[in-house]
Amino acid sequence: MLARIVIAACFAALLALLPGPARADGVELAQISARKADDGLELSFATRFELGRAAVDALHKDVPLYFVAEATVLRSRWYWRDARVSRAERTWRLKWDSLTRQYRVSTGGLHQSFATLDEALTVLRGQSAWRIAEPKDLDDSGGYYLEFSYKLDATQLPRLMQIGGLQSGFALSVEQKHYFAPDFTLK
Amino acid sequence: MSRAARWGWVITGVTLMGVSGVLAFLLSIGSTNERGFFERHYHWLYWVNVAVAAVLTLVILTAAVRLVVRVRRGRFGSRLLLKLASIFALVGVVPGVMIYAVSYQFVNRSIETWFDVKLASALEAGLNLGRGTLDAMVSDLGNKTRDAADQLADASGPQLLAMERLRDKLGARTVAVVGGKGQILFESGGDTRQLTPDRPSDSMLSRARGGSAVSQLEGLEDEAMALQGGAQIRALALLPNSELRLGLGERYLMVVQRIPASMLANALAVQTANSEYQQRSLERVGLRRMYLGTLTLVLILATFAALLLAVTLGNQLARPLLMLADGVRRVAQGDLSARPVLATRDELGGLTRSFADMTGQLADARAQVQRSVAELESARTHLQTILDNLTAGVLVFDADGHLETVNPGATRILRLPLSACIGRPLAELPQLAGFAVSLDQRFDQALGATDPGERGMERELWQESFELQLDPKQDPLTLLVRGAPLPQGARLVVFDDISEVVSAQRSAAWSEVARRLAHEIKNPLTPIQLSAERMQHKLEAKLEGADQAMLVRSVATIVNQVQAMKQLVNEFRDYARLPSAQLHPLDLNALIQEVLSLYAEAQEREHLFAELAPGLPHIKGDASQLRQVIHNLVQNALDAVHERPDGRVLVRSALALTEAGTPRAVRLQIIDNGPGFAEKVLKRAFEPYVTTKAKGTGLGLAVVKKIADEHGARISLRNLHPIADAGSPSDEELELPVIGAQVSLSFSNLTPATEPGAPGAKT
Repeated sequence: MLARIVIAACFAALLALLPGPARADGVELAQISARKADDGLELSFATRFELGRAAVDALHKDVPLYFVAEATVLRSRWYWRDARVSRAERTWRLKWDSLTRQYRVSTGGLHQSFATLDEALTVLRGQSAWRIAEPKDLDDSGGYYLEFSYKLDATQLPRLMQIGGLQSGFALSVEQKHYFAPDFTLK
Repeated sequence: MSRAARWGWVITGVTLMGVSGVLAFLLSIGSTNERGFFERHYHWLYWVNVAVAAVLTLVILTAAVRLVVRVRRGRFGSRLLLKLASIFALVGVVPGVMIYAVSYQFVNRSIETWFDVKLASALEAGLNLGRGTLDAMVSDLGNKTRDAADQLADASGPQLLAMERLRDKLGARTVAVVGGKGQILFESGGDTRQLTPDRPSDSMLSRARGGSAVSQLEGLEDEAMALQGGAQIRALALLPNSELRLGLGERYLMVVQRIPASMLANALAVQTANSEYQQRSLERVGLRRMYLGTLTLVLILATFAALLLAVTLGNQLARPLLMLADGVRRVAQGDLSARPVLATRDELGGLTRSFADMTGQLADARAQVQRSVAELESARTHLQTILDNLTAGVLVFDADGHLETVNPGATRILRLPLSACIGRPLAELPQLAGFAVSLDQRFDQALGATDPGERGMERELWQESFELQLDPKQDPLTLLVRGAPLPQGARLVVFDDISEVVSAQRSAAWSEVARRLAHEIKNPLTPIQLSAERMQHKLEAKLEGADQAMLVRSVATIVNQVQAMKQLVNEFRDYARLPSAQLHPLDLNALIQEVLSLYAEAQEREHLFAELAPGLPHIKGDASQLRQVIHNLVQNALDAVHERPDGRVLVRSALALTEAGTPRAVRLQIIDNGPGFAEKVLKRAFEPYVTTKAKGTGLGLAVVKKIADEHGARISLRNLHPIADAGSPSDEELELPVIGAQVSLSFSNLTPATEPGAPGAKT
């Protein structure tokens, strides 16, 4: 009896861990498109979301917020696990500078300061011509697909805040799966 | 709980404790550490710890429920275990809970006190101060730039010299004139480290286009760079176009001034402190949760350890006691098998050892008792066997005179069902009433007459012979009775049937009498006979007629009588002085036929028959004596049937076989159909001078008996009854009319069958 319950629980956990085709929590993926350029595969996307009150509150208490976009190109294989062709990740750090009363967005080595939150968010809501794969990784055999996710990375918040329990404003994420057409535009 | 199960519990508990302890340690260490491995996975750690705590709680609950169930069921020893476990648990848990409560309060309070309103407002004020200073610098530079732009416009066109002067005056880093699209037209100063020209941003240009001066802080994104001079204030003001030259477009004056490093460092420090304070206040809930969670986890672990220790120690303490109690219970039930012993060296171990020793001694003692009982039993059986096989009769009376023990010998001698009256006085049997009375008297005499000073066992023993008339129709029994007192007032009576001894004594006495009589009587007989014959010889011639006839008759009478007396005396002598038998192998049938040839007349008159079994083995015997035996017996039989016209005597020889088929005895039987023996005579027929005949010495059967004894032959006499001609007569048969008598002789002294043709005795 106990064994059955344990087995059922394991199956349930596995099902929960399996990536769903599309999941969204507070973020709407307004637009996403791909294009095969000479120097690789370029992805463009735009999202729509609003920061919750808790997140804004934390931001104004000098807590940096991290937004992470992750794109993985995979190729389906019927005989084995799908092969990962390439993986790209981009992180935006949004921080309130209390000394200058500016919102600062850092990505890579680039810093930008904005007087208002909306301006700052506009920068990190989307990306265009983001190179996510090298040309050598791709061939014409087809069967490629894209796993894309965009989220507010709560794990990079201060640890004690996470222990204290995060309010609903921090749960921002979207996850989608798209198949590539033979010309590497998204279907 | 078995040993293995207990160890299982202990090991499981210790393992879980160890694991969770390490996890708790890492969790608490991690809070001061920067982003290490456990930092990144602290979430998992947290839940693993919670799971471990849950498992431990479950274990404790399970153990408690088990214990309670055992107590409910009344399992042996569970109460003691419960008591010990409760005490230890109390000792372990109460301090833990107290410490927990105090620490909980302490953590709560101290975390709250960290977040102070004053501190918060002070930091805020510091930040505002820094911000105000920077703002003041920014607006100041803006105003100055505005003024400088106006002056430059008045001075009819920007010139390098004027700009250089302006740079000195403002203490600026760069003073430049910027075109409408942000391009640098010409500049004074400038950052030599930057290759690209330092252009203003488009938003600044668009704002400055309105006519007002625009100024802003720059280079604060990177604190390290900012402190090394990267932080600057950029001000932009529209240069009024007084010359209105077409094509030149709008021009702006741009001033870049460095922010003093010390001032900036202070401002940044305040900002960092404020930022950290703000973050901490956000983390307050989490911090408290972490501390309290760790505390709770430690409490659970400590409690679990205490309880585990309690159960283990309780078991440890209770085990010897339970062992002892169990042992006592089993001993009480009579199980004295070996008890286990604790191998510890403390007092409890000693106790179990002592208990095991005690049990062992008990077992030994019991085994000894059992052995003694068995020995006693076998001795009793032994004694009983002896008693049962004694020919003497044994009676034991208890102090009240009731019969206690009877042996078969007594029953056989007295021919009374004595065992039926065990537990009752002997006098209840009517035949033995007199006997009982005389026994009592005799005991009283033996016990009472003794001088107390000389009382001893020998004196209390007595011996006496009794004549006991059990059956009026039979001869009285002659009993030799010995009495002895037994301990506890019991009395022992041992008696023998000495009737046959008396009979033998009588025979011996008769032999002696016969011998003497023969001697005494025979001596005068010859002179009497000689005298009488001499008298006839002398006087016959002198007398005549009637006198002579009377003399002759008288002398003849004397001689005849003397002769008869001589014969009588000779028979007596023969009986007394029978020569000892010379035993040789002989054929009984030949002997019988030889003797019967003397009775030819009787055979011819069909009074005498012989029925001889062929092929008899030879017996060992004295031919002349046996001849006399046959002669006596046949004569007796013929005498018995003498008066009957249909009288017949049968002489029969037969072979008796053993069960294995080998010859056992040769039997000689003489059967007649005469009047038989009187009952009185049957018992004493072999004693001398007992006879059924009107004339006869009564020595015939006595001689036969004597010869038979010499030959080791068994002789028996019995009367024949109509239905029973075999087997011993029973009481009923004795009542039937007698139709004859039988004498049988069994010779068991046979010559070996391997020599059947051994030479027989001369016939």
